[in-house]
Amino acid sequence: MCDHHKETFRINTPDFNKLNKQLGRRDFLTKTSMGIGALALSSLLGNKLFSNATTEEEILKAIPHFAPKAKRVVYLFMAGGPSQFETFDYKPVLEKLRGQNLPDSVRNGQRLTGMSSGQALLPVVPSAFKFNQHGESRTWISELLPYTAKVVDELCIIRSIHSEAINHDPAITFLQTGNQLPGRPSIGSWLSYGLGSDNENLPTFIVLVSKDASKDQPLYARLWGNGFLPSEYQGVQFRSGKDPVLFLNNPEGYDGADRKEMLEYLSKLNQLQNNTYGDPEIDARIAQYEMAFRMQTSVPDVIDVKDEPDEIFDLYGPGSRDSGTYAANCLLARKLLEKDVKFVQLYHQGWDHHGSLPAGMPKQCLSIDQATGALITDLKRRGLLEDTLVIWGGEFGRTVYSQGKLTPADYGRDHHPRCFTMWMAGAGVKPGISFGETDDFSYNIVKDPVHVHDFQATLLHLMGIDHERLTYKFQGRRFRLTDVEGKVVKDILTNA
Amino acid sequence: MKLLDIFTFSGHLHPLIVHLPIGFILLATLFNLLSYAKRFSYLKQAVPITLLAGFMAAVLACIFGYLLSLKGDYDTDALSKHKLSGISLAAIAGLLYFTTTKFFLKEIPLPRPLFSLLLTGLVVLMSYSGHQGASLTHGSDYLTMQVLLHQERMKPSRVEDALLFEDVIQPILQNKCVQCHRDGKSKGDLSLETLEDILKGGKSGPAIVPGKPDSSELIRRILLDEDHKDFMPADGKPPLTKNELQLIQLWATEGKADSSLIAQYLGIDITENIISVSVSVDTSLLDNLRKTGFQVRLMQLQPLMLDVTLPAGSGVKAALIKPVIHPLAKHIVWLNLSGNDFTNDDLDFLPALINLEKLRLDKNPVTDKISDQLMELKHLEAVNLNETNITAAAIDQLKKNTAIKRVYSWNNKGLP
Repeated sequence: MCDHHKETFRINTPDFNKLNKQLGRRDFLTKTSMGIGALALSSLLGNKLFSNATTEEEILKAIPHFAPKAKRVVYLFMAGGPSQFETFDYKPVLEKLRGQNLPDSVRNGQRLTGMSSGQALLPVVPSAFKFNQHGESRTWISELLPYTAKVVDELCIIRSIHSEAINHDPAITFLQTGNQLPGRPSIGSWLSYGLGSDNENLPTFIVLVSKDASKDQPLYARLWGNGFLPSEYQGVQFRSGKDPVLFLNNPEGYDGADRKEMLEYLSKLNQLQNNTYGDPEIDARIAQYEMAFRMQTSVPDVIDVKDEPDEIFDLYGPGSRDSGTYAANCLLARKLLEKDVKFVQLYHQGWDHHGSLPAGMPKQCLSIDQATGALITDLKRRGLLEDTLVIWGGEFGRTVYSQGKLTPADYGRDHHPRCFTMWMAGAGVKPGISFGETDDFSYNIVKDPVHVHDFQATLLHLMGIDHERLTYKFQGRRFRLTDVEGKVVKDILTNA
Repeated sequence: MKLLDIFTFSGHLHPLIVHLPIGFILLATLFNLLSYAKRFSYLKQAVPITLLAGFMAAVLACIFGYLLSLKGDYDTDALSKHKLSGISLAAIAGLLYFTTTKFFLKEIPLPRPLFSLLLTGLVVLMSYSGHQGASLTHGSDYLTMQVLLHQERMKPSRVEDALLFEDVIQPILQNKCVQCHRDGKSKGDLSLETLEDILKGGKSGPAIVPGKPDSSELIRRILLDEDHKDFMPADGKPPLTKNELQLIQLWATEGKADSSLIAQYLGIDITENIISVSVSVDTSLLDNLRKTGFQVRLMQLQPLMLDVTLPAGSGVKAALIKPVIHPLAKHIVWLNLSGNDFTNDDLDFLPALINLEKLRLDKNPVTDKISDQLMELKHLEAVNLNETNITAAAIDQLKKNTAIKRVYSWNNKGLP
């Protein structure tokens, strides 16, 4: 089979060359503009193509900007906006104020979403769930998160994150890409672009979406998209099922022996196109084919959990044997981190509790709590928490007042971007602390506010990147993840 | 006082205009001298008009120069010399031009050699005046033998040799402040050239009060809002960056505005703590590591810090890795040899990794003796010995190295 591939390059014939030389006006313009583009590019790259400087030296000049604390990140994204009142932001005062209208002095004319702005009353509602103190830090944590509470001394809980967007799509896009409008590269893409890969057999940026969550708010591939960065930096989504990557196994009756040869030939064809048109997307395509080939050997190994002892499945909880669930994804994330995948992002939907929160929230917490705690425990004992950064959080918080009717047994909470809780753990962040404070209504921040851009700047800082210096020029402007803002939150970083 | 603003603006044009008479007069002199040669004799006709242009430009330069002198805090002595020579220059250029006009030629014909001599003398006068002017802008030592013979302080190659003032603060001041605040052009009577000058200060008192940033005029002004009239650097010159601001503040407060060694000021015991590695490294050494099968991550450039990983199950033999690790031993800060079948003997190079902070030896058949090799590593913080053959004895011994903060020993047969 495929013997003809061995002959010299078929397409490199006089006929082809002739065809290639018959340039039309469009071709001419495309080519020449590409040529000018290539010149500009080479000057941007410090004349890498024409000078003797090695790639190594180029890298040495550029990044990292300082010694990183973290080598990899796992970001547990709770899509929908988990309520801070039922998880990490303990507000005992609210019990006394139950049912009272939210004082204007607190709200201060801040905007509400269209879903509750029409309400005649904004009745304050305390959490339906109890809080207890945990760990050496005596941190208050809701009874809904018993396993997270066990590892609280590893967490750096930030109660004062605030965002600019009030609805899901802009808010999640803002958190993931630094802008409310789609089109910018996601955090993971910036990291892969800036830092490259530590394991060339696996994608640098892997996305896992849990299948056991209610899909109330949609996720979009652009949340892990590359924006204007070359497309090899986009997140690679693993499917939530038995086969996280399709077509890795050879079809029946095919032994795959000549696949490498086929890919080499394809790569030559692509290279030829690249020489003609100079489109960087062709480079990305070549890189992706090569990655796909290497994944054929690396991925089956990493997704295979049959060698994991029962103890591990017990730790991560019952869902962990069913691939694609949040628990199984946490386990898979640990395996990927073990292989030095730089950025693993898990998405778990279903946190949008506009109504029936007392019924919805326990289910939701139950589905993530044990595996989240297990992930921390597992990373820690393997010595991986040492250089892994774990992040947990949603795109905004929830309101102190009930959306819809407040009854003794039921309430709901609307979107609230002005303060919400996220936590970080692992490399470079102080363990066992709480940072930032909200007022008694968890409505406004009273101490140490952390803007979304500050959070992003801190994340990049931990990975050794100065957020002001990692830029990409596109359409005449230099873009960066934190746009024109962002301050590294130094107070949550470990000193050494 | 709208008019004054136009004056100031025109004054700022002086450094631009002043090059016109220089060019014209040089050209006139050149034409004049060349015209003695036969093949360039036709250039003689061009001399008067070039000289006229030089004269007019010189007058213009004088006017603008005067306007500039009203505003700048210039050294009066050099200024008066420059002013006088400049005006003379314009006057003589004018007179010389008039000797070429028809009227003069008829009444008092000037012998040609004399004219040439005078014109050449004009160039000498112009050079003198130009030098004075340059001294005003760039300092009297700008173009002197001292500069030619000046010896730069060697830039320190190691952090511990760096001086706080000379190597950190002074370059910032040189870059952003000294153009206006120096001997010969000390705006506000302030020079920021030397440490003594800075402590002496200017009109508004000392620029820096050691240990008291709040009463230090320099710090007050560089921290002001850019629109504030006292903000420095004034006149839209490039402001100090965030980092520069922080450094100056630190130096004035913590360092008490002195010029001691950075290491002293940070309270660091040089011999013990500072990583003494050279700034750069031969990149081929990194390539060797990669060729052997290592994944090499650059953690920091200066000093070079490396995170080196041998992928689990690589099958690379210890005999191969030692020669590539050794030349980079000081640079390796994180090392991961997890899952590679290495024994204690294979790892006898570990004591050479004096800057190692994190070490992963998990899933290797190492035994208790491995702890001997880690005792001397003063920076080692975390050791991963999961799934090895160590027992509690190794952990007890590792505790004696006080630098080690975390030892991972999960899933060891010899341990509970």
